[in-house]
Amino acid sequence: MSYFLQQVINGLSLGSVYALMSVGYSLVYSIMNFSNFAHGGVIMIGAYIGYFCLTLLNVPFFIAFIISAVGSGLLAVSMERIVYRPLRKRNAPFLYFIISAMGASIFLENIVIASPIGPTFRSYPAVFSTTPIMLGDVALGRIDILMFIIAALSLVGLMYIIEKTKIGLSIRATSYSIKGSTLMGVNVDKVIFIIFLLGGLLAGLAGMLFGMKYTVYPQIGNITTKSFIAAVFGGLGSLPGAIIGSVLLGLIETMTSGYLSSQYRDLIAFALLIGVLIFKPTGLMGKTTEDKA
Amino acid sequence: MSKKFLTLISVILVLTMVITACGDTGTSAKSDTIKIGWIGSLTGDQAVWGTCESNTVKMLIEEVNANGGLLGKQVEGIYYDTKGDAAEAVNATKRLASQDKVVAIIGPNASGQAIAISSVLEEYKVPDISTVGTNPKVTVNDDGSVKEFNFRVCFIDPYQGAVAAGYAFDRLGFTKAAVLYDVASDYSQGFTEFFEKTFTEKGGTIVAKEAFKEGDVEFKPQLSRIKDADPEIILMPYYYKEVALSANQARELGIDAVLIGGDGWPSEQLMTMAADAIEGSYIVNHLDFNDPEVKPLQDKYNAKYNLPMELNGYMAHDAFLLLKAAIEDAGVADPVKITESLTKVSVEGVTGTIKLSPEDHNPVGKEAAIVRVESADYIFQEKYGVQ
Repeated sequence: MSYFLQQVINGLSLGSVYALMSVGYSLVYSIMNFSNFAHGGVIMIGAYIGYFCLTLLNVPFFIAFIISAVGSGLLAVSMERIVYRPLRKRNAPFLYFIISAMGASIFLENIVIASPIGPTFRSYPAVFSTTPIMLGDVALGRIDILMFIIAALSLVGLMYIIEKTKIGLSIRATSYSIKGSTLMGVNVDKVIFIIFLLGGLLAGLAGMLFGMKYTVYPQIGNITTKSFIAAVFGGLGSLPGAIIGSVLLGLIETMTSGYLSSQYRDLIAFALLIGVLIFKPTGLMGKTTEDKA
Repeated sequence: MSKKFLTLISVILVLTMVITACGDTGTSAKSDTIKIGWIGSLTGDQAVWGTCESNTVKMLIEEVNANGGLLGKQVEGIYYDTKGDAAEAVNATKRLASQDKVVAIIGPNASGQAIAISSVLEEYKVPDISTVGTNPKVTVNDDGSVKEFNFRVCFIDPYQGAVAAGYAFDRLGFTKAAVLYDVASDYSQGFTEFFEKTFTEKGGTIVAKEAFKEGDVEFKPQLSRIKDADPEIILMPYYYKEVALSANQARELGIDAVLIGGDGWPSEQLMTMAADAIEGSYIVNHLDFNDPEVKPLQDKYNAKYNLPMELNGYMAHDAFLLLKAAIEDAGVADPVKITESLTKVSVEGVTGTIKLSPEDHNPVGKEAAIVRVESADYIFQEKYGVQ
């Protein structure tokens, strides 16, 4: 039993990383109907900002979190300005957005490799002890607890903004129909600015947490493929869907490694993605509008 | 893809050799110096290691020349950069053998490059001594037959596994071992296979064997399984990044078993990332950096280049020593005669006694250095070997 509980804990901890990353995909998708693959690049830059704050500037831990989140938020917003806005103004087909996003992602990765930072991985200074908190036979890692709390708090905050505030209302309105909300006086440019900012802030948090738990390297973006799967699994465009999809994916991966074999882990994760796309194209919680599929 | 590419390169090279060979045979092989080639990475990721090797060889050649040279002739070193690339290694070898007419080559510092150059060596009948090419295939073909002109002074990957198992069972007295290994790496698989074999033959049990893939960062599901099996020692036969992550995660799960690993471990990064988690762990290495016997070489190198000595320098030193003995044994600066002598001579190197076996061109019965991690430092335990 304790073995099962331990694997549940492992799965939740992995799922909370995926969740912080996948909401960024879902936010952008809900408004702009394309998968922002540059999101992985923003997460990676966030991880580096946090790393240099802690090692070069020696700022306290929570300040580093804030700097990293704000830095990534600004980066995401300027990416939108430079890469996507010109396409938007020209009413370019959505395929162009995806290709630009991939280009931006490759650009971010290589700018880090070419810069003095270089391609080698960096490790965060040890902030937390590796001594676990034991609940009976089940071990809780200190960093996992922190990660879970930060993920939960920021996701609750995000849900609050979306569901309860005026700007949230305009985001929801825009996600139903850009044209309609424009006619109703919603400033779509502002809405898009806000969703990129929110996605970027969370990307910074996710990047720094990821860096602390594992390491920082230019290819971190690749891991976000998994969080993208989680977003699709839960239903692209739906925030609760992205979170539930992430936690489920985390659990499925750990259970596969824990009870079958780790070699089947990615096989099952990707089979799941294909399965969902075949039988429930909008994902678990996806909206049923035709054009979102 | 790269294999096809390599084959293509080799075919082109062989053709060029055939075409150019006629022109070259005119120049006399009889010169007043003995030429020795070195190849390895002087640029790229592994430049630190390659630079140390070539520096060491340069230093040793200067010494030999100051003492009157070899066979009454001065020795000349020729050094080419492989940029860490197998195709570049093939080019460099070809140039050394056909144009520079070296009697032997030392290097390169990676198995992938050492494997790629064998066809060129055979074509020109020039021997090569690899420094740290630990993959078994460096000196033997797929069918198990020995490659006539490939030699090495380091022990091979599977041997590390056997040593780790022997040490864990006989010296540390552990009977329950678990293994976490990288399925995508030949190094890790060979290591694991021979660890299992030796450990079970001695009477121990492998209570858990878990795999991951290179690039993974999350090991907790596998480690939870290992924890459930309750081993006394866990083998981690892979490189320091994954070692640091998995060791930290093992401790986070409350696993307190002893960890053991191989020559992929030692690095500054490992200590910054996981000094606490690997406290009390054991490492199977080629030599002990704090061994008083290797101190003179370290000091000499340090004084000359003002750089720290890397593992590769010691291996290059021993490769050069062996080559020097073989040239003296052959009595003539002829590559084929030297090739024959390489398996006849035996030298006392800084990494142990080196005597190459004629069957597989690997050093025979070379002992490994067992090192224990204590307070973020490597503390030498003993020299240990298995048959």
